[in-house]
Amino acid sequence: MLDAIAIVLSGVVTYLTRVVFLVDRRIRPPGRSLRYLPLVGPAVLGAIAVPGILAPLGVISFAQTAPAVVAAVVAVVLQRLTRQLVVGLVAGLLVWWGLVALLTAAGWR
Amino acid sequence: MTAEPSPVRAAVTAGTRDAGLVVLGYIPFGLASGAAMAHTDVAPGISIASSFLVYAGAAQLAAIQLLGAGSGIAIVVATVLVVNARHLLYSASLEPHTRDWTRGQRLAGAFLLADPIFALAVTRFERSDERRARIGYYFAAGLTCYLGWGALVVAGVLLGGLIPPSVPLELAVPLTFLLLLVPLVRDRAGLVAAVVGGAVALIARPLPYGGGLLLGALAGIVVGALVLGPERPGRSDPDAPTTGAPTTDPSTTDAAGSGA
Repeated sequence: MLDAIAIVLSGVVTYLTRVVFLVDRRIRPPGRSLRYLPLVGPAVLGAIAVPGILAPLGVISFAQTAPAVVAAVVAVVLQRLTRQLVVGLVAGLLVWWGLVALLTAAGWR
Repeated sequence: MTAEPSPVRAAVTAGTRDAGLVVLGYIPFGLASGAAMAHTDVAPGISIASSFLVYAGAAQLAAIQLLGAGSGIAIVVATVLVVNARHLLYSASLEPHTRDWTRGQRLAGAFLLADPIFALAVTRFERSDERRARIGYYFAAGLTCYLGWGALVVAGVLLGGLIPPSVPLELAVPLTFLLLLVPLVRDRAGLVAAVVGGAVALIARPLPYGGGLLLGALAGIVVGALVLGPERPGRSDPDAPTTGAPTTDPSTTDAAGSGA
C-alpha cells in the first residue's frame, strides 16, 4: 500500500515537472534561473551515465571498464554520424559483448 | 503512394514512425529496467504501474530500487523529483511551440513529455508545421513512446528472470543515457556539469541508491554554474522578451518572438 502511494505521488511530482510551464503562459521560468536551467540535463544525465559506463558491474577494473568505454565511444560516434539513437545503442552493445567475450577468452577477469 | 496525404495525416505517420524507432532503441533498456524492477521486493504490479503513472525510466528505476531497499515515501518522491527536474527544461522549451494549442492539449501533452518526446518534438517543430500537424505529430509520437515503453517494461518484469545471465544488459541503461546526454552538451559549462556530475556520482556510488546520483547532479549544476558565471550586468534585462525558452535553442526563441 505504501509502495502504491509512493508511486502515485512520484507520478504526480513527475507530471508537475512536465506541466509547470505549459499550464499558463504567465508562468515562465524566472530570468535568473533561466541561465542555469540548461545545466540540469547534462548534470543529471552525466551522473546517471558515467558511473554505469566506467563501472558497468559496480566496480572499476580493466576487464569491465575498458570494453564499456570503447563501446561508449563507438556508440557516440555512430549516433552522431547516423543521427539515430538505436544505431549507437545497438553498435555499442555489440562492441561491448564482443570485447568482453574476447577478454574473457584471453583470460582477463 | 496514391493521392497526396493531408499534412495532418503525414505528421501523424511521421510521429508514429519516429517514435517507433525510438522504442526499438529502448528495447534493451526497457527490458532491463523491467527485469531490474522484478528483482526487487516490490510487487510486479507496482513496477508495471510506475511505467504508466511516472513514465520516466530513470526515475522509475530509482523509485522501485529505493522502495525495494525499504526507503520511506519522502525519500522516494524527493529522488524522483530531482531525477526528473530536467523536465522543467523540456516544459519551458516546448512552451513557445504550444501557444496555439488548447489548454487541454497542453495539459495532456505535458503528461507525455519524456526525454525522447522532447527531443523528437523540438527537432520536428523547427520546421514550423501548422498547428494541427504539430499536434498530430506530438501526440502520435507521444502515445507511441508511452505505449511502447509500457509494453517493454511489462515484458521485462514478466520475462526478466528468463533473460540468461550470459547476455549482459547492464550497459544498455547508461549507454542510452549517454546518447541522450551528448546532444544536450552545447557549451563548456554543460560539459563541465556533465563531467563533474558523472565524476561525483562515480565516487559517491557506494551511497544508498539514489544518493550518488543526487549528489552528482547537484555538484554538476553548482560547478557548471560557476563556470557559466553570473549574468553580465550589461545583459541583465529582466523584462527582455526572453520568452521563457532556454537559451540553448535559438529556434524556439525565434518562434516565441514571432508569436508574441
